Amino acid sequence: MAGGKKSRQSGPAPPSRTLVIDNGANTIKAGFASETNEPRIIPNCIARDRHRKTFVGSELDKCKDFGEIAFRRPVEKGYIVNWEAQKEIWDREFFDDKAPQKCDPSDTRLVLAEHSNSLPALQSHCDQMVFEEFGFTSYYRGPGPAFNAYNDVQAIFKTHRADDAIVEYPAEVMLLVDSGYSHTTVTPILQGRPLHQAVRRLDVGGKLMTNYLTRLLSVRHFDMRNDTYVVNEMKETACYVSMDFKGDLEKTWKGTRGERKPEYLSGAGIAKDYVLPDSHTRFHGEVREYEPGVSAKARKGGPSTEDILTLRNERFVVPELLFHPSDIGMRQPGLGDLVMQSLSVLPIGLWPGLLANIVVVGGNALFDNFILRLQTEVLERVPDACIVRVARPDNPIVSTWTGAANFARHEHAERLAVTKQEYEEYGSAWVARKFATGLGVNGDAMG
Amino acid sequence: MNNFGVIELAGGKTTRAPGWAYVPDVGPSPAQALQPTNRKRAARNQGGLNASDLSARQDAKIRKDLEALDRDTNKDVNIPIPPKAGGSRAQASNKHTPNVRKILQSQKTFANHLDDYQALLALAETNPAAAAALNPANAAQPKTAPPSTARNSPAPPPPEPKSAAASKRSAAAAKRAAAREAKEAEEAAAAKAKAEAKTQAPEPKVEPPATGTEDDVEMTDAPVDAPAEATQAEPGAVPPAPPPQSYPPDGTILPAYKKAPPPAHPADHDPLLVSRVPPFPSDEELRVLMTAPPLSYLEARGTWGEEEARYPARVFCEVCGYWGRVRCMKCGARVCALDCLETHREECVTRYGL
Repeated sequence: MAGGKKSRQSGPAPPSRTLVIDNGANTIKAGFASETNEPRIIPNCIARDRHRKTFVGSELDKCKDFGEIAFRRPVEKGYIVNWEAQKEIWDREFFDDKAPQKCDPSDTRLVLAEHSNSLPALQSHCDQMVFEEFGFTSYYRGPGPAFNAYNDVQAIFKTHRADDAIVEYPAEVMLLVDSGYSHTTVTPILQGRPLHQAVRRLDVGGKLMTNYLTRLLSVRHFDMRNDTYVVNEMKETACYVSMDFKGDLEKTWKGTRGERKPEYLSGAGIAKDYVLPDSHTRFHGEVREYEPGVSAKARKGGPSTEDILTLRNERFVVPELLFHPSDIGMRQPGLGDLVMQSLSVLPIGLWPGLLANIVVVGGNALFDNFILRLQTEVLERVPDACIVRVARPDNPIVSTWTGAANFARHEHAERLAVTKQEYEEYGSAWVARKFATGLGVNGDAMG
Repeated sequence: MNNFGVIELAGGKTTRAPGWAYVPDVGPSPAQALQPTNRKRAARNQGGLNASDLSARQDAKIRKDLEALDRDTNKDVNIPIPPKAGGSRAQASNKHTPNVRKILQSQKTFANHLDDYQALLALAETNPAAAAALNPANAAQPKTAPPSTARNSPAPPPPEPKSAAASKRSAAAAKRAAAREAKEAEEAAAAKAKAEAKTQAPEPKVEPPATGTEDDVEMTDAPVDAPAEATQAEPGAVPPAPPPQSYPPDGTILPAYKKAPPPAHPADHDPLLVSRVPPFPSDEELRVLMTAPPLSYLEARGTWGEEEARYPARVFCEVCGYWGRVRCMKCGARVCALDCLETHREECVTRYGL
């Protein structure tokens, strides 16, 4: 701690760079706020392929064969739990001599996005690691959803504005839906401050949907239980949110015994062929238009060397879990009801503003029709007069990061960040309280 | 409660061991209530799923399936951290502070941490002193009651709109109080905060001339009144369009729309077209909302209540995924039609016998 003593004498010098990290369960989004507007996306895992070769973090890009690959993830349920693994990944990405995003913690501020409703023990672990192990000179840990308010929200909605309109950060009012790998959360945000009492979580995320698709395929086609990575790719490319669940389900039904309905035979535009990677010539799966008879030929062991799966109702049943978790017996409300549960604890006067500014971020927002479906679901539940606008940013995966980067350039970052000296002086409990308090609502603070 | 004359003393000291803790058993644990294990209890406070539809066996199966879906990898893999090329690792491991060493060596999962947290909350309810000794970070917060009470307590009622002068005075007083509070808080904070206070202190003085122009008197409490006026106005009566400068000064949470309103339309006050805007929450109400503490992990979970249980849960064919219209007589699984029933029978027979 010699460095700390020295800088105390010289007075706190502001760190020259700010490292912004959105440490997701699946990928880390990281970059320096002052230097870039595009974060680097790093797989947040330690992976081992079938040849027992281990890949840490971004080394996974070098991996070609994703068959039977196994992952160890430091983040569980959205929160950093295993620091042994997380430190290894951070070390290799940020601190080692040959790290791709080399930074000197003693001259860097860290802005870290975390999920809401974390456990106090995990939060204090995080603070201790940041200061005592990595030694960042200044640090702020804030709720990821709230960072999204520092994006140009009205641009996402393509709101008509005057050309010279000044974009003020943070956005006044918005309702953020963050649908990520571990779970989906609904967070109303006022002036960049999350309304904590109204934060609601649905334990359906990308992981659960991938696992569900894996199960469906293993029952109906091949055993894919060791190929989660392949299934995840399949989910990302082939699944969509249905706007007419009953109708689509009807179209994909084969019919009663002996009967084959014409929609089933023709595919009805829903059935798709998915070519599985064979890890010799083809390393990524591919979606093809459904050709009746092709997969049957493959099954008979014809001349085709490709493994082809025909996806039918799997394509929309899986994302349907977001809107009907009870389909797999989960006792949780769907996303539409979740939004209503969140709104129900807020005064009705806030509803119009929140409903007209629903932003969806996170990887699941990339499903086709997700936005439209959410809009329909919410419209069904709110008073007729309410205007409901739902939109997603161009790249919903990095949206939290870009918001956090804007935050890092905003004066709010100065106000909220904690220096290493303060940590050493007041301890981690004080830091935790300061972060939990957030911006506060002093009258002069709002201007 | 007759404890055979033994009186239990609440000890001030509790030993802490990793992974488990003594917890007074005061009721069903919230972690279990999420997917109740007890069949009877599940049936009693059941929401959507029909009791006859869910035998204990199926209930267990659903729970097991959900657990499997929640897992990260199929098998329990144990991937050790690969050694680094350089020998820097060995040196680095010696330099850890005790805290860091403890964190790095911890093999706890999220479930362990969650159980610990629940245990701590339960302990705080029965024995605050012990809980305080266990977790200084938590004890520093003044609240000893579990956060659930905070959530259930109703929000303070919105204050009635006052007369313009009175509310102006109160608003000013509130602002002064806020500024005073801020100052006090900042004085207590460190050197960095001091520098901050310097920049913020002059602000209240600067503010009035900045926003207050010739009609300073007009600047009243808009967040309560302006939208309320709009709702209370009779369709026939035309409220005078408020001039832009009558909006509240900065310092309110959500300052009203500053620019000129869109041009009036002749049909604006048509009783069929007029829109009723709900009254806007007052500034105090918003402040309470924005400063409320975060919910705990379990409280934030979406709940399965009456509203969600209104519609029966959908059931699907376990083989092909179509609606589950037929039930297997042996195991109760749902299938769509004879074809799928036959496929299911094969599996059913191997699992449960003829």
